[in-house]
Amino acid sequence: MLFNSAKYSTLEKKSQQLRLDLLNLVYGSGGHIGGCLSSLDLIVAVYYSKLFNLKKDKFILSAGHYAPSLYVTLSDQDYFPKKLLATYSHFNSPLQGHVSTEVPGVNYSSGSLGQGLSFSAGLALAAPKTSIICLTSDGEHNEGQIWEAVMFASKYKLGNLINIVDHNKYQIDGSTDKIMPLGDLAAKYLRFGWSVITVDGHNFSQIISALSKAKDSTHPTCIIANTIFGKGISYMQYDYHYHDVKSIDPQHYLQAKKELEANL
Amino acid sequence: MKKALGHDSIRKAFGEAIFQIAKTNKNLYLVDADLGPSLYLQKFIAKYSSRYIQAGVAEANAAAVAAGLAKAGKTVFLTSFACFSPAINWAVIKQSICYNNANVKIVGSHAGLLSGDLGATHQMLEDLALMRSLPNMEVFAPIDAVECKKIVQSIAFSPYPSYLRLVRPDTPTVFSPKLPFTIGKSHILHKGKDITILGHGPALSQIFSLPNLDNKLEIINCSSIKPLDTSTILKSIKKTGRCLVVEDHQKNGGLGEAVASLILSSGLKCKFIHLAIDNQFGQSSKDTTQLYNHYGIGLPDIKASIEKLMK
Repeated sequence: MLFNSAKYSTLEKKSQQLRLDLLNLVYGSGGHIGGCLSSLDLIVAVYYSKLFNLKKDKFILSAGHYAPSLYVTLSDQDYFPKKLLATYSHFNSPLQGHVSTEVPGVNYSSGSLGQGLSFSAGLALAAPKTSIICLTSDGEHNEGQIWEAVMFASKYKLGNLINIVDHNKYQIDGSTDKIMPLGDLAAKYLRFGWSVITVDGHNFSQIISALSKAKDSTHPTCIIANTIFGKGISYMQYDYHYHDVKSIDPQHYLQAKKELEANL
Repeated sequence: MKKALGHDSIRKAFGEAIFQIAKTNKNLYLVDADLGPSLYLQKFIAKYSSRYIQAGVAEANAAAVAAGLAKAGKTVFLTSFACFSPAINWAVIKQSICYNNANVKIVGSHAGLLSGDLGATHQMLEDLALMRSLPNMEVFAPIDAVECKKIVQSIAFSPYPSYLRLVRPDTPTVFSPKLPFTIGKSHILHKGKDITILGHGPALSQIFSLPNLDNKLEIINCSSIKPLDTSTILKSIKKTGRCLVVEDHQKNGGLGEAVASLILSSGLKCKFIHLAIDNQFGQSSKDTTQLYNHYGIGLPDIKASIEKLMK
């Protein structure tokens, strides 16, 4: 698959359009918007690059609180009608607050952090000819189970397993450096026997190049995506108070909308 | 009724059953957390090495790996000691197995006080409470080696996740090879008219070593703890009006609570005694009879309870 700058700009446009969907969803229902905005480009790269055959290859969202990012992507890909997005986290809606297989296109229900990489390893082991792409958050790496899975994937040489780490440097109570320093994450994965590629998580050229290398690797690959918490909405960027918002007031909503529309 | 009871190993029966099923079911996988020989998996490991996944001493990862394999279409047995799985990895079982409806069979060996000299950390007395409480989860505790094989055969072909409770020592064999095992069904192992005795595993089978098992006692094997055979249990209690539950588990969350709730909800009135470990930790002993007696679930307690109920 060849990519050129025109193609990347199409993906950038797609991301901006989905950021607006995300903003509208969170404006109506609340949600974990900071991490959703940091991870969205990574999800768009997986779903729109055509690198993967998502009928057999599987995307697993381990960081279940990024549900709104996956929901806006899946609805844009016609897995379910867009109007359903307005029911996010409401009673009787399949769109659970944390990502759920009740939603068409979702492969794994999660919310309790640290489990999705192990689940992905199980899928990868069962079907060596498929690619399994897992998305974890950096704060999620506080969980010991992540490192159990990292050892396991290395032992079983799961070359078809890709772990994209959304390295936005924030978690619920503050910066990752303050809450639980991750140290040199790339070096840690390398020492555990993984291939590691570090990218700018908002640069489609870099993300897609990394994904395509990872796809052909004989080792499990960790893509460390350096991202900006709250990416695209100026007052949310680098402010951990936007980890999870109950609501956005109309004035802030309009400002955010204006900023996102300016980039469309 | 008097008979000499043979003894056999429930976990050895598990190892043999799983080996037999693997011969014909090529889809069957084992995910193990570094306790293969303890669950008699050596034959399986030697013959079906590609379907034996050694996950190391990491039960949380093992449970979610098992869930991934299951969602990819495999039938997966997850093996460890009960004090590690489902204890350490309960939240993983809840989310990755139950909530995702992954067809994983969790096998917890060395449950109950019967782990003996290993002491309190290895005497899992809370596993039934943990597993009964989970939606989509079925819970089984074989009374002996014969029934264990039948349960393994049955759950290997069931589409639901389940928990299978195994114990460490050789235990009395009381289940007739002719009896079938059916999920949600209980067998009356001895018919009687005055007291319904309910239980699971060797805590129940010890009653068969009483010298005079007369027609007062109706002994029902509740190996299918969830789903529970409510009709067989209530029918018996309606007849006897007296119920004794004995189990090697905490009172909190065990079979006794399930039965008490069932009786109250049914509107039946009966005398009720629940023999179980009462809000305590276990301790080491090489003599498991000594442990059963100390914690109030041994034969002297059963005899005293029978007398009390007949008063």
